[in-house]
Amino acid sequence: MILTAGIDVGSSAVKSVLVRHGDEGVEILGRRMDRLRHRDPADVAREGWNALLAATGTRAEDVGYIATTGEGERVEFRTGHFYGMTAHARGGAFLVPGAAAVLDVGALHCRAIVVDAGGRVQRYRMTSQCASGSGQFIENIGRYLGVALEEVGSLSLESDAPEKCSSICAVLAETDVINMVSRGIKTANILKGIHLSMAGRFVKLLEAADAEGLVALSGGLAADVGLTAALGEEARRSGTRLEFVSHPDAVYAGAIGSALWAKYRLDKLARLVPASAAGG
Amino acid sequence: MEAPLTSAPSSPRGKIVAQAEELYRDLSFGAVRRWKAAEPGRKALGYLPVYAPLELIRAAGMLPVGIVGGGDMEVVRGDACYQSYICRIPRSTIELGLNGALDCLDGMLFPSTCDVIRNLSGMWRMMFEGRYVRYLDLPQNFDPAVGGVFFAHELRALAKDLESLGGRPVTDAALREAIAVYNENRAAIRELYDVRAREPWRVPASELYLVMRAGNVLPAEEHTELVRAYLAAARAEDRRLQDTARVVIRGCFCEQPPVDLLRTLERSGCSVVDDDWLLALRWFDADVPTEGDPLDQLVRAFLSRSPACPSLYLRQGKKGDALLERVRETAAEGVVFAAPSFCDPALLEQPMLLNAVKAQKVPCTAFQFAENTGQFQVIREQAGAFADSIRLA
Repeated sequence: MILTAGIDVGSSAVKSVLVRHGDEGVEILGRRMDRLRHRDPADVAREGWNALLAATGTRAEDVGYIATTGEGERVEFRTGHFYGMTAHARGGAFLVPGAAAVLDVGALHCRAIVVDAGGRVQRYRMTSQCASGSGQFIENIGRYLGVALEEVGSLSLESDAPEKCSSICAVLAETDVINMVSRGIKTANILKGIHLSMAGRFVKLLEAADAEGLVALSGGLAADVGLTAALGEEARRSGTRLEFVSHPDAVYAGAIGSALWAKYRLDKLARLVPASAAGG
Repeated sequence: MEAPLTSAPSSPRGKIVAQAEELYRDLSFGAVRRWKAAEPGRKALGYLPVYAPLELIRAAGMLPVGIVGGGDMEVVRGDACYQSYICRIPRSTIELGLNGALDCLDGMLFPSTCDVIRNLSGMWRMMFEGRYVRYLDLPQNFDPAVGGVFFAHELRALAKDLESLGGRPVTDAALREAIAVYNENRAAIRELYDVRAREPWRVPASELYLVMRAGNVLPAEEHTELVRAYLAAARAEDRRLQDTARVVIRGCFCEQPPVDLLRTLERSGCSVVDDDWLLALRWFDADVPTEGDPLDQLVRAFLSRSPACPSLYLRQGKKGDALLERVRETAAEGVVFAAPSFCDPALLEQPMLLNAVKAQKVPCTAFQFAENTGQFQVIREQAGAFADSIRLA
């Protein structure tokens, strides 16, 4: 039995998981998410890691490999660091068996990643550096509308006449939203409209990456049921063969993916060590 | 397989790195000014990349000072001298000259690195009238009867110049002493590079670079002491072994990479196990003999022990072979081609080197930088993906 850990330092939260690899397969022993709230990500990661160890009754020295991803380069107790896309691809493919692509929607960006059966990146497309079409954008809009982030998705599902944003620019879209509020548009319709605008952009991103079939959602917005529904609607509208699935652990996909790659590296290093030792 | 962590500033190693970083950031060359002030009449001679006969300069009683541009300093007047398709090092060097930072130098050597550096020597002569300027021609023919004779003539002419500049006579005894001092310095540097290649997590690239860079402004024996102190501290400090991709970096032989670029590479999962920056400090890969005619020994060393530097013309395939040899010697898993934008020598030879490493199925990636590059997100993404492609293959 081998234990590995994955720590995904995102733009707004640190996600940590502890994974057990045994003969019976892979088991996620514990998971934890800590919001940054303007604190040093390295401190948040350390605190979250200690809390995860305590919650699972695990000793740090029993963990064979601590892998970080995202902005985790500054986590000093890591064993190795994996590129965010590599980790999300592996995690998404693990959570949704049979996934041909992973759509990683984080706080500040979105990536459409086509993966092979082993969760390796085959090709990808990502949004440019703009806050629209990201978790941070949704969070801002929720704040303006007085809606908690957790309520955004379910409220969006109640929409009966969605009002689409006219722009993909976050600043202009926020102006759109202010106009909608002043025109008396229902909050649910505003949220659904935003979800559809974002979904349209993400579907185009997936098309550009030549993605087809099952798409696993990952990242913070994977938990947004309103976005998942909007993605399905936009895919059908554009005639693409894309089916979106969000696993309950999707928000931990990056952390899980890095913990899985950690096991891969442990196995590989175990094979390399004799050769290295022989070479001095 | 390994990556660095930043030293705590309070640790012995952290203090040494902080001292080296202070020298690196001091664009007024305070260390050189202090050296000169310590004894009236002392002279200092600046040299640009890529090679300078440091032993000869020392033997003339002068301090060789490596000038490798101005980093991320603001450049205004230097920009006015060059077209937009010229690299940045000549611009920032001119800026340093015009803002008085190089007033502590009694002369400048411009080695034959490329057309830009050669033309810079002419511009220097016009812009800083009355100061000693020499374009140092380096042999491209490595036959002792041709390139050797030429280079010996070049060095003798330089020695005479330095004597009349107010140094002291370059005697054989002084030159032998200087060769011995630089042999010590290069031996310490070789040890530093060997330890880094074996255990890169002990010697992060960013720290190695700063410690090396101090050699541009310190007398050789002081730099040797600094390198050895760093090595001792690095060995004594218990650093956590990291799982990273071991890479050789090539292309930074003249304009220097920002230290934050090196940190970005390390944080992205790459451990640099070999590089080509600050070559003048480690031009010869073995001791230069102190017996016989010392000037002839320097010439022979140049002809037979020079690195496969982009500014040298070597027979076809030799540079690729040399790169692959370093890949093997350092057990590197990949090559990062990081050339400064508009660097003709580095970018011209890059396709040949790429072909050589690809033929041997050595993974590689390439990007460009400038000494004042401040945004590393794209390089971070590229380096991270590259490191993963190696480790997860």
